[in-house]
Amino acid sequence: MDTEQLIHQLADRPAPVRRLAAPWRRAAVWFAISLPYVAVVIFAHAMSMTMPIDLSQMLHDRQFIIEQIATLLTAITAVMAAFCSIVPGYDRKVLVIPLLPLAIWLLALGDGCIRDWIHLGSRGLEVRADWNCLPPAALIGIVPALAIVIMLQRGAPIYPRATLALAALAVAALGNFGLRLYHVGDASIMVLFWHFGSVIVLSLIAGWIGQFVLRWKTAGLETQP
Amino acid sequence: MNPQNQADPLGLLMRAAQDGDSAAYLRLLKEITPLLRRAVRQRRRFLQPSDVEDLVQDILLSLHSVRATYDPARPFLPWLLTIARNRMADGSRRQMRRTVNEVSVAEYPETFSAAPTNTLETRYGDPDALRQAIGRLPSGQRRAVEMLKLREMSLKEAASASGMSVVALKVAVHRGMNTLRKTLSVEA
Repeated sequence: MDTEQLIHQLADRPAPVRRLAAPWRRAAVWFAISLPYVAVVIFAHAMSMTMPIDLSQMLHDRQFIIEQIATLLTAITAVMAAFCSIVPGYDRKVLVIPLLPLAIWLLALGDGCIRDWIHLGSRGLEVRADWNCLPPAALIGIVPALAIVIMLQRGAPIYPRATLALAALAVAALGNFGLRLYHVGDASIMVLFWHFGSVIVLSLIAGWIGQFVLRWKTAGLETQP
Repeated sequence: MNPQNQADPLGLLMRAAQDGDSAAYLRLLKEITPLLRRAVRQRRRFLQPSDVEDLVQDILLSLHSVRATYDPARPFLPWLLTIARNRMADGSRRQMRRTVNEVSVAEYPETFSAAPTNTLETRYGDPDALRQAIGRLPSGQRRAVEMLKLREMSLKEAASASGMSVVALKVAVHRGMNTLRKTLSVEA
């Protein structure tokens, strides 16, 4: 088809489009959907396991507070970066911002591992399987993941792999933020292996499939009525 | 309207296009097409003019599909050029994939002129030499070649005429043809 002809075809049907809201606004919408859901899953799991969430213990555990702040900041920055990455024209540097809170989270966990090792010796670095956590861990990400994928598909897939990896990082970090609420006294190595490890693995898998999930929707556009 | 828009006429046109203004969209597309063409030519100097047009059209279609992502508060050209660069990179990747799986042939050999497609028989043009070479074959091979190749008898007919088995005839004609090929290629 001639380019001039294509231009006329495209301009003949410019149905009004709803502009995409600013990334921070879309991030806020995502949190508004995801946070209540995460809270419900955590509450239901805590009830089923008869494990009350001990607020006083949390507030006295400095290590725990640092980890939770870093996890939440990872989720916030990752979702912001994911929404920025689907709007052409944003600086690519925005994509690496979530690495900072992620590094703080990793450092806090590393520090915790060293402390556990000093206090408990090799027992402090034992990794055990905690299968009780698997159902809520799998459940907690469903709604946030669906919401973010649907929201991202409205954008431009400029960096599909990075975008989906960041989305998975946001979902997993938010899920971990919730799951940690009833894992206050856990050994850092367990959190490092199961929680942080799952975040990284999920992000890598999402990055790998990103180009299949987020694609340009140009096929057949020139022939559409 | 913010000052950004006042200095960005293309941004204004895009904003109107987002609101459904057909004339503004047409004007915008007409104004950006030469810019895109120039950008593609600059970055992909090796492309043929038809490939440049394909890429420009791909960028226009991509722009159309994501026009909701343009924020009128932000400059238009960085938005457009990010899409263009991305589609150019995708185009290069597609081209790379295609060329990896393709074998380029500069010249298709033709049966009537190119040597590789011609058989020994048609290339060899001296019937006397061929007759002498057949005459020098061992008798079994010579008879097999004469019956199966020169008189074009079937294997069954040749077997009953010569008293040889079909298998023996096949072996003899194969060896005879090999010997002829070697003899004639040395002579040639």
